[in-house]
Amino acid sequence: MMPIWTKSGEKHPVTLLKVQDCHVLRYVSKEESGGKTAKLLVGGKNVSPFSKPESAHEIFKEAGVPRKQKVTTFNVTDDAIIKPGTPLYAAHFRPGQFVDVTAKTIGKGFQGVMKRWGFKGQPASHGQTKTHRRPGAISTNQAAKVYRGKKMPGKMGNIYRTSFGLKVWRINTKHDIIYVNGSVPGHTNCLVKVRDSKLPTYKDCNKNPPFPTFFADGDEELPEDLFDEEIFQFTDPSVTFA
Amino acid sequence: RVSSDGKPPKFQPPPKPIIIDRKTQKEERRFLSPEFIPPRGRTDPLKYYIERKDMIQRRKVFSIPEFYVGSVLAVTTADPYASDKSKRFVGICIQRGGKGLGATFVLRNVIEDQGVEICYELYSPRIQAIEVLKLEKRLDENLMYLRDALPEYSTFDVNMKPVPRMEHEEIPVNKLQVRMKPKPWSKRWERPKYNIKGIKFELPEHKMKAAQKWSQPWLEFDMLREYDTSKIEAKIRKELSEELEK
Repeated sequence: MMPIWTKSGEKHPVTLLKVQDCHVLRYVSKEESGGKTAKLLVGGKNVSPFSKPESAHEIFKEAGVPRKQKVTTFNVTDDAIIKPGTPLYAAHFRPGQFVDVTAKTIGKGFQGVMKRWGFKGQPASHGQTKTHRRPGAISTNQAAKVYRGKKMPGKMGNIYRTSFGLKVWRINTKHDIIYVNGSVPGHTNCLVKVRDSKLPTYKDCNKNPPFPTFFADGDEELPEDLFDEEIFQFTDPSVTFA
Repeated sequence: RVSSDGKPPKFQPPPKPIIIDRKTQKEERRFLSPEFIPPRGRTDPLKYYIERKDMIQRRKVFSIPEFYVGSVLAVTTADPYASDKSKRFVGICIQRGGKGLGATFVLRNVIEDQGVEICYELYSPRIQAIEVLKLEKRLDENLMYLRDALPEYSTFDVNMKPVPRMEHEEIPVNKLQVRMKPKPWSKRWERPKYNIKGIKFELPEHKMKAAQKWSQPWLEFDMLREYDTSKIEAKIRKELSEELEK
C-alpha cells in the first residue's frame, strides 16, 4: 500500500495490484452454463505443471497456456466475448473507473467470540469467576432451542470477501499494475479478482473503456503511466492555494 | 644529503604523487535518506522499485535536503486558510519515521511556553520549501525525551538565521546531555530498552540500578534480528546517482 496525493493536497491510501500472466481460458455459453449470461473462464498466475495430474491440464492445453494457479469465472454479455488464449493486461482498466476486488481474507484460525463477532465479553474483575471472554447467554427460555447461525467461536478468516466501489487512480502499463483506492482483502502477494463495480452509483462511470479488452498487439500505444485527472503528478511543482 | 663515499648521491626517484580521488570519496560519504532502505518483509521488491521511481521524480522537482534527527529545520507548507496561503514552522527534528513515499519527520518547538510538535510528510505536495537552519546530529536517533526535558532545550528562535556550514565537512555531533523535568515522565527513559545517551540522569543510584533489571543483553546476539543493509544500500545509491544525473 502506498500514499497518493490529489491536486488539492489530500492524501489517499492506495493498494497496488499486479496483473500477472492472465489469460482467457474458455468460453461457456449461456445455455451450457444455465445462467443468465455467458461466462468466460480466466486464469491467473503461472505455476509449475508438475504438481497436478494430466487430467487437470486439459483446460490449459486447449487454450495453449501454462498451468495457472487460480481459475475464476466472469459473467459476460455476448458482445464482450474474447477468444480463449488472449492475454489480459492492466490496461483493460482505466483511471477514474470503479472496481470491486474479491480475495480470500487472512486466516486467523480458531477464534473466540470476542474477536470473531465483536462481543463485549465480561468485566475483568468485580467477582467474575473464570468468565472474561465467553459469549454469555446463547438463547432465551421460550425458544427452547439455539437458532441456526448463532454466532459462536469457530474458524475465522480464509473466506472470500469483496470490497466494493474502489476507485482506480493510476495504471502502470509497463509493469501491469493497477492502483486501487483503499484497502483490499487478503495478505500481501495473494491472488485477487478485480471486476467492474456492480454498485448502482457507478453504473455509468466508464466513459470509454477498452471494449472487450485491451489488446497488446493492436494499434493503440499507451504511455507508461495513466493517471486520473485529480492525481498530483510528481513532475508538477508543489501545490499552492491561490 | 651527505653520502658515505664522497661520490654524488644515488639518484632517488621523486616520490610518487598521492592522488586523492575526491569523486570516489564524495560518493562514499554521500548521505542516503533512511526512507529509501526497504524494510525486511515478504513484499515484492517491484513495489519498492516503483515507489523509488516516484520518490526520485519528486526529488528532481523539489529538493529535499540532507538532515538528521537533531537538526533544526524550517518548513513552509501551503495552507488554504492562512492569509498568505502558506505557513512556516521552525523546529528541531526529533524523529524520522516511515519508509517509501509515506516517510515523515516530526519537528518540535516551544512557542509562547507551549510545546508544539508537527509531523510532516517528506513527499507531500503541500510542502513548498524545507530549509536546514542547523545541520547536526545528536547522540540518539529518537529525541522524544525532549517532551520531558526542560523547555529550554526545545526552544528555537523562529527567525533563526541558517548556520553557515562548509561543504565536505564532517557532520558535527552535538554531545549535549539534556536535563529533565522531575518525574513522572511520559516514558521511563532510564530503562535500557530506549538506550538513551543524551540525558543527564539525576536519579539516585539505586533507581538507575533498578532500571537495569529490564535489560535484555541477549538481544544484541540475536542473529534473526540482524538486517545487513550494506548491499541493498549500495544498489540503491547507484540507482539514485544514475537517475538524478539524467
